[in-house]
Amino acid sequence: MTPEAILAQLRELMIDVFDVDDLEVTPATTAEDIEEWDSLSHVRLIVAVERKFGFRFKTSEIEDLKSVGDLIRLIQEKTQ
Amino acid sequence: MTASPEIAEVLAGRPATQAVVDTVLEAWPEHAGYLLKSFKRRTPEMLEATEAAAVAVRKLMGDAGPQIAADYRWTCDRLRDEELFFHREGRYRLSTFAEAMAEVYSDHAYMSRYVNGLLLTQILWFNHVATFEMFLNRVIGASSAPFDYLEVGPGHGLMVYFAAASELSRRLEAWDVSAVSLRETRQALDRMGVEKPVALTEVDILQAAPPQGGYDLIVISEVLEHLERPDKALGFLASALNPGGRIFINVPLNSPSPDHIYLLSSPDEVTALVEGAGLAVETMELYATQGARIEFALESRVSVSAGVIARKA
Repeated sequence: MTPEAILAQLRELMIDVFDVDDLEVTPATTAEDIEEWDSLSHVRLIVAVERKFGFRFKTSEIEDLKSVGDLIRLIQEKTQ
Repeated sequence: MTASPEIAEVLAGRPATQAVVDTVLEAWPEHAGYLLKSFKRRTPEMLEATEAAAVAVRKLMGDAGPQIAADYRWTCDRLRDEELFFHREGRYRLSTFAEAMAEVYSDHAYMSRYVNGLLLTQILWFNHVATFEMFLNRVIGASSAPFDYLEVGPGHGLMVYFAAASELSRRLEAWDVSAVSLRETRQALDRMGVEKPVALTEVDILQAAPPQGGYDLIVISEVLEHLERPDKALGFLASALNPGGRIFINVPLNSPSPDHIYLLSSPDEVTALVEGAGLAVETMELYATQGARIEFALESRVSVSAGVIARKA
C-alpha cells in the first residue's frame, strides 16, 4: 500500500477516534498539533489501526511513535 | 512563575488548584496540554469544587508534592497499559478479587504509588471533579434535614471530610474491608483537620449481616468496580438506609485500571444494577473523560463516570 493510501485511511480513523468533523493530517502531524490526540486517545488510535490493518504493535513500537509519518512507515513494514 | 500561562488564565483566583498543577507540571511538563483541556471544559461550579478539593488535597500532600506528582505520572502509565488491554480485548484484565489482591493490594510499594496517583486525579481529571461537584452540590448540598452518614471505601477521606463540614451532618461513619486503608483514612482526616468525630470500622459488606436502617445518606464512590458482587453490596446498603434516605453511587463505565474487576459498559447496566438492589434511581449524571460527548464516549468505550442518587424503591 502506498504511503498516500495509508495516510487517507489513517485520517478517517483519526476523525472517528478523536470525534472531530474534519482533520488536516500530513506525515509531519504530531499529537502536539491535534488537541484531541492525547495519551488515552492515542491508545484507541493504536487499537483502531491494529483492527483496520490486521496486526499488533509491540509496546516499544507504540512508545516510539512520534508522528503520523512514523505510523505510516510502521504500517507499511507490518503489512508488507 | 507558572509553567503554563493558558492554564493559569483558566485557574485565575484558584491558588490551591494552580499549586497542584504547578507541582505536577514540574514532574511532567508534557502533561500541560491534557490538563489545559481538562480545566477548560469545567463549569464555574466544577472549578469551585476543584478548588475546594485542592485545598484539602494540598494538606494531604504536605511536603511530598514532588513524589506524589511523580507517582501520578507513574499511575497514568499503568492506566495506559490497562487501556491498551481493554480496547484490544474488550474486558478488564483481572476479574476476581483474589487476582487484584495478589497483583495490586498486597504489593505495598505499588499501592503507595497508585494511591498517591489517584489522589491527584481528584483535582486533575474532568470526570472525577464532575462527580465530586455533584456530591458537593446535589448530594450534600441538597440535604434539608440533619443526616447520619455512612461511606463505604472512603479512601483519602475527601468525601467524608466534606460531609463532616456540612452543618446538617450528625453521626459520621466510614467502612472499609481493609484495616490498612482505614488507618490511612484516619491519618488523612487528621491532616485535613476534620471537624467532627468520624467512626472508621472494618466491615466486609459482602460478608456482614445487613443492618436494618441507620443511615440517611450512604455514599459508595469508585468501589463497586472493585467487587466481584456489586449487586450484593448495593443490596446490603439498601437495607442500611433509613426510610426516605438517599444513596449516592459513583461508578465508572469502561474504566480499565489495575484493580478494576467488574466491568459496566452502559448507563442501562448501572440502572439495572441499582434497581436490582431494591433501589429507585432518582438522578443519574454522566461525565466522560476530558468532558468528551457522552454518546461518543459510550460508543467508543471512553471512560465515563456515572453519578447516581437513589432511594429505596
